[in-house]
Amino acid sequence: MSQGRIFTGEGLLQDTVLDCDVCVVGSGSGGAWLAHELVAQGKSVVMLEEGGHHTRREFDMTEARAYPALYQELGSRTTDDLSVTLLQGRSVGGGTTVNWCSSFRTPKRILERWREQHGVDTLSEAVLGPHWDAIEQRLHIAEWPKEAMNENNKALWDGLGALGYERGLIRRNVHGCANLGYCGMGCPIDAKQSMAVTVLPDAVEKGLQLYANTSARTLTWTGRRITHVNAEVLDPTTNKPTGRVVTVRPKVTCLSGGAINSPGLLLRSGLEAGGRVGRRTWLHPVLISIARFDRPVNAFAGAPQSVYSHHFVERGPGKMGFFLEVPPVHPMLAASISNGSGRFTQALLDQLPQLQVMIALAVDGLLPEETGGTVRVRSGGYSRYSFTYDFTDAHWEAFRFAQKEMAKLQFAAGAREVFTLHADPVRLTSVDQLHLLDEAPWKPLHVRVATAHQMGGCAMGKDPGESVVDPHLRFHAMDNLYVVDGSVLPTSLGVNPQETIFGIARWAAQHVGAAV
Amino acid sequence: MKMYLPPPGGKPSRRGVLKKGLWGGALLTLGGFGALFFRKSVEVPLPPGGLQVLSAREYAVLVVLAQRLLPKRAGAPTVDELGVAATCDSVLAQADATSQKEFKQLLGLFENALANFLLGARPGTFTRMAEDAQEAVLEDWRTSRLSVRRTGFLALRTLVMASYFGNPKAWGAANYPGPPAGVHQPDAPVWRGGDVPRPASSTPLEASQRDAGVAMDAGTSPDVGAGAEPHP
Repeated sequence: MSQGRIFTGEGLLQDTVLDCDVCVVGSGSGGAWLAHELVAQGKSVVMLEEGGHHTRREFDMTEARAYPALYQELGSRTTDDLSVTLLQGRSVGGGTTVNWCSSFRTPKRILERWREQHGVDTLSEAVLGPHWDAIEQRLHIAEWPKEAMNENNKALWDGLGALGYERGLIRRNVHGCANLGYCGMGCPIDAKQSMAVTVLPDAVEKGLQLYANTSARTLTWTGRRITHVNAEVLDPTTNKPTGRVVTVRPKVTCLSGGAINSPGLLLRSGLEAGGRVGRRTWLHPVLISIARFDRPVNAFAGAPQSVYSHHFVERGPGKMGFFLEVPPVHPMLAASISNGSGRFTQALLDQLPQLQVMIALAVDGLLPEETGGTVRVRSGGYSRYSFTYDFTDAHWEAFRFAQKEMAKLQFAAGAREVFTLHADPVRLTSVDQLHLLDEAPWKPLHVRVATAHQMGGCAMGKDPGESVVDPHLRFHAMDNLYVVDGSVLPTSLGVNPQETIFGIARWAAQHVGAAV
Repeated sequence: MKMYLPPPGGKPSRRGVLKKGLWGGALLTLGGFGALFFRKSVEVPLPPGGLQVLSAREYAVLVVLAQRLLPKRAGAPTVDELGVAATCDSVLAQADATSQKEFKQLLGLFENALANFLLGARPGTFTRMAEDAQEAVLEDWRTSRLSVRRTGFLALRTLVMASYFGNPKAWGAANYPGPPAGVHQPDAPVWRGGDVPRPASSTPLEASQRDAGVAMDAGTSPDVGAGAEPHP
């Protein structure tokens, strides 16, 4: 097959109709690996990506350029009540263009739970193992060397060591990494092995036709078959429709838009699966703890995430677990996600180089009372969905506990002060003051919560009355529609999700290909 | 970069973010119509490039809100010097119409004298209050028992903070050195397939020749040379 092409909005000046074997909607961790495998099978593949084709030519490591260009809703995606801030990628490569490179295989206990409770009898370590091996080789996934660890991660490492907690070094998908620290704004040297510089160009060489700035708006269906994917071309600068349309007539359609946008496209198309589409969305909700050290930490420099702890990932019956990592700290995101008065933020940002930040990522979706997030479409816009997330008492118990543990770790590593992200920030000056955290309000909108891991909303499962796609990722009520992205996860993972999605997508390609 | 104000409409979520709760809808109505009933706002010079989304009155409210949220300090540029309110306007211009509308309503609500009286027992037009009274209004919003006000404060603070600290001129105030020099290549080639063969620099083969393994990566990538040194 001849080489494919990456089209962008500038070049799409006519209405276009395309026939192909498979239309993949979305170019992130799921869509990219899926398309890569399909073209290797000799299938003709059209990929639609609503974000732009951004490359290192533009990756100047400034936040003000990166967030509007590379994140959903200009970086401002949230729940309806603003109680949770969502960081989610939006460009060719999806989240992999802007994530922090952390790579974990799916925990065995999660795969077993999916098998036992959701009837996902197709996935196991044995099934996914060969796929992960191939993926790790292609993306150069390897443990980041301890000697290259930045001070922000080292504080977590030291704190975990001092308290005797489980700790580990994170494996990263990088090659030729210069330890810069700007993964979240697009890697300026193509060292990050994002989809946009690895399997997507590999697939284009083998014939993939990738349409960037092309937003799938609806699916047309008759009976049990999708007949058309209807897309609008967006202006690369303004992000508004140019008036040109792209219509794809595929034999098989795969949705790979991620855990908000794939359910959104289904709902806009009238495919609701009895109301289950867009429900049970999981976020790994993140609580953030800020510490001030009296030495430079420079958390804006160096590989953002290289240390983790799963010490608290399983906390016993009825309790929500969490895992610990650190985020990079750059001024725009730090200031906008902080809390308290403006003067408080000014004083905090004055000391940006001394700030050390830890995050606790709650492992949601495992307790019986949880319902998680709900995506619904809104009138009057395509990118902006209604999104709500239901916190339970277990969330707040876990957050309060996690805040105490993060403060203990930060003080153990040498912190002088620890601040919470409450509207009235709680300030601790020693580990003897943890009781102050019991008096703080642990409720939505009283303390900031963020997420960079969106999962679920099109859960896989055996029972069509309990799930959206079957254990081979086929939409239950359709013969030629698949969902291949993070939205199929029945629960959250307890680890950063990209490698789980890579593995599932590479595995799923054989089933999608067979359906052509 | 945050406007955080989802639009009303759609189902089943018919209410926008500020309309949650008993008071929200009525309060927003006040925000929208305040101009009909209350004293004029202070006037501020418009930005050189004009406004895309906000009215002159809404812009004046945002200018004053930003001034109170990030007060003037020695050694740091002021919000006015960085044109923070104008930056907010240009960010809003990229958002969808309903988000724009709600942010405009939010500014109206801050300014509205009756709303300030009902919510905080501080009657008066916001932009005409003394500075300490304006700060007190902002504090009322931040710590309010009404979630509509806490949400509104969060939306405002996030947009203002992002607009200020996203500006490279504010980096000095945060002792942030900025990204390392000499790394970004604005003339880097872009490959989009078609008739053009994939350049060697982006093939896996060439990448594998760059270095032998990840342990060599820290600090000394041959791609970027001396400019790749991490921050001092």
